[in-house]
Amino acid sequence: MLAVLRSLGQGFWRFFGIEPEPSLEVDRDGIERPWLISWHAVPKRSAGPGFAPSDYARARERAEQVARLTLGCERWAHLQSAGYVDLRSGIFHGLTYRLRVGRRVQLLWDDPGAAQRSPWPFDWLCINPTYPLPAAEFTAQLYLYLRDREADVVRIAAPQPFDQALGRCF
Amino acid sequence: MGRIIIANRHGDQVLEWDPAATDTEEARAQIAAAEQIIREARERGCAVSKKVDGRHVIDNGPFDPKAEEYQIIAPIAGG
Repeated sequence: MLAVLRSLGQGFWRFFGIEPEPSLEVDRDGIERPWLISWHAVPKRSAGPGFAPSDYARARERAEQVARLTLGCERWAHLQSAGYVDLRSGIFHGLTYRLRVGRRVQLLWDDPGAAQRSPWPFDWLCINPTYPLPAAEFTAQLYLYLRDREADVVRIAAPQPFDQALGRCF
Repeated sequence: MGRIIIANRHGDQVLEWDPAATDTEEARAQIAAAEQIIREARERGCAVSKKVDGRHVIDNGPFDPKAEEYQIIAPIAGG
């Protein structure tokens, strides 16, 4: 019965063009390697095929543990209590990035003069992972990107006029 | 034990190896698997962070089997 349901489920997702690249090994050592999978047809804020509500809950719980490890206990605690974590730009004088779980990055300028030197026309940056991730986990990853590879983020980020939930996180 | 945290839709999955145990085929295979995952992820645009002095930093160096912890960081896209 389970095999039949699984087969039906796989057929459903294949109908939308979602399946691992056939020539690549996706599950080595029992580990899903999402960089080998095409996720373009997966609906926004979804983990894709085969995910039950209990899978989402478990993924979010595990993600919070990893995010705490990545950010460190103190920064994670601040994120939990304040709802955001700030990071000063190493490239743009007077700029602070404000990260919230599952949301766009807010640009906070020290003063209007600094804001006038902004390379972006808006105060929000939309940056998504290329495959589905729990939002807390991606927040921690984005923090690392902004701290250690800010130039890459500056090049890739899409400026937006307002905040919104990220499409590739859940 | 060394380990790689693979962040994915499951939250995370972990691959571990024992850097001290290189005298068995199984131990060597685990280290090779870890190295392969990091190489493959980088080739597909992922970043890799390494725990250094207690904190994760994005790392471009070759795989170090003596490292305490790596993490695969998803590629990013705008919009």
